[in-house]
Amino acid sequence: MSKHMANLIPLKALITHVKTETRNVKTYYVKLPNGVEPPKPGQFNMLYVHGVGEVPISVSDLDEKSRVVAHTVRFVGSVTKTFELIREGDVIGFRGPYGIGWPMDAIVGKDIVLIAGGIGLPPLRPVIREVARNRSAYGKLIILYGTRTVEDLLFTYEYDYYKSIPNTEFYVTVDKPSESWRSNVGVVTNLIKHVNIDPSKSYAFVCGPEMMMKSAAQELLEKGFKMNKIYLSLERRMKCGVGLCGHCQMGPYFVCKHGPVFPLWFISKYFWVDQI
Amino acid sequence: MSLTGLYVGKADSLRTLFSELKRLGYVVIGYRVVDGVLRLGELNSFDEFAQDVEDVQSPGRYLLVNGSFYRHGPDSPKRFLYPPNLTLFMVSNDWIVSIPEYEKHNFAFFGLKPCDLASIKVLDKILLGVDEYYTSLRRSLVLIVENCISPGGTCFCSTMNTGPRARDSFDLAYTKLNDRLVLEAGSELGLKLLNLLEVEPIDDATYERFRTVMRNASEKARSGFELNGLPEGLELHIESKIYKEVAEKCLGCANCNMVCPTCFCFDILDVPLINGSAKRVRVWDGCLNFTYGQVAGGHFRPDLWARYRHFVLHKFAYWIKQFGTYGCVGCGRCITWCPTGIDLRETVKKILMGG
Repeated sequence: MSKHMANLIPLKALITHVKTETRNVKTYYVKLPNGVEPPKPGQFNMLYVHGVGEVPISVSDLDEKSRVVAHTVRFVGSVTKTFELIREGDVIGFRGPYGIGWPMDAIVGKDIVLIAGGIGLPPLRPVIREVARNRSAYGKLIILYGTRTVEDLLFTYEYDYYKSIPNTEFYVTVDKPSESWRSNVGVVTNLIKHVNIDPSKSYAFVCGPEMMMKSAAQELLEKGFKMNKIYLSLERRMKCGVGLCGHCQMGPYFVCKHGPVFPLWFISKYFWVDQI
Repeated sequence: MSLTGLYVGKADSLRTLFSELKRLGYVVIGYRVVDGVLRLGELNSFDEFAQDVEDVQSPGRYLLVNGSFYRHGPDSPKRFLYPPNLTLFMVSNDWIVSIPEYEKHNFAFFGLKPCDLASIKVLDKILLGVDEYYTSLRRSLVLIVENCISPGGTCFCSTMNTGPRARDSFDLAYTKLNDRLVLEAGSELGLKLLNLLEVEPIDDATYERFRTVMRNASEKARSGFELNGLPEGLELHIESKIYKEVAEKCLGCANCNMVCPTCFCFDILDVPLINGSAKRVRVWDGCLNFTYGQVAGGHFRPDLWARYRHFVLHKFAYWIKQFGTYGCVGCGRCITWCPTGIDLRETVKKILMGG
């Protein structure tokens, strides 16, 4: 079998569970096919709907024992819209894991601030899980999360659990609050200047829409974070996931294989350039 | 590199060469005249090989007239080595994956110009050992190259150091000097082919003539910018207004991507079939296409100028970082086949001048 084509052949994988998150988001639990290595936090998989198409979806949870990997999908594109029809027990095509994830080794012993916008929380959830699991290995954990409306908030059933993790702060904000909303209002990046964190011994992980990440990176720099302590998970069109099809280029980098998680210093020459 | 030094033979040596390649079982691919354009295709007989025509090329213009020398048409070797449409596999409705049996070809390109030879060297860095379809064809590929005695109106191989004379990576290279050919072999096979021809070592007068012709050709294929300082010059002007100015004329048709002999981007089409199975097809894509930078609910390069900038920077700056070579061989096809005649040479020159 050709190397190139083998790279692009999806493996058959079972959907073990589907969880409804919001009106247009569901989480699909996929049993890893045999021989596939478990993804690391921040990596993504290519999920294929038979005869429809394939999409890159990052890993939102992983159970090492059962080898079940969660993918949280928002129904916005021509392929993801068909995900709505997928049920428990269905079969899906799977390729992965791909890309470079969050630098989990670097954050050992450090304080961590996670900044997520909208559908950017799922790729950061495995980081929260890991910190909670090995709580003493890491310093303070601060989670900042924002969405457009209250209805868009993901994983609301876990917020009490996030807050219960020792030495952890969790702040949530929405742009357009409902009448009953009793928390922060405004974009998530506004929260950065208010958090109590020492940039010299901390890392920041950011995932969200590109505009939000630019503004988060700016706020973090102003707060005193160095460029090598700011990590961003970038989004691009991806058709192959393995650095061949060209679509995901950001400057000279193939986001699918050089990223999707990049330290800011690595991409800073291109990151700020409009429509690069 | 030449294994033999230069030899001189008669012009009809080409016919002998062609017959020998056929006899050895090669599918010989060269330019034929099809609908008033030079198209690359299988040549069943030597008489199908385009001769007595000349391609007049200028920005946005291509015309075939009577003549004695031509450069190329819109097709490049990429069309055969990395086809525009390739079925990668089929998935049945019960998830059995099958890969099509590709026909095994031994291709011999006949009369390819040095720019297109250079394009194969560029594709090698991207696809060799990565794409097995390419790799398998490439391993048995024979390259008979014609040195370019008269570069066309959009050519800039001298600037890109890819021509007008092929220096290496060919099996046999020939140069037309009126009714004679100057030949050199670049491989064991090329040497065998050369031995079949009636040739003699080049004499001083012919050698001088050859040198003069190649020197004059070289002068004709300059772009007005230099490679020295090019990638950094472009990256330092990454916010140049020139991209916006030039893109005013751009239609976003991606002709430039399609005719480019090195553009390798592809899209994946998952096609459902009536029997419940599906196939995955690899098709050429290009960064000038609107959908290239589009994602569900967003677009990373919605403006044409940004897509055009990516094309330019990829060819001359990013490619170096990705593959250690330029992504442009100076063939000029993107200039000729641009429906509005956007001239890449002019764009680069203006940006380097600080625009």
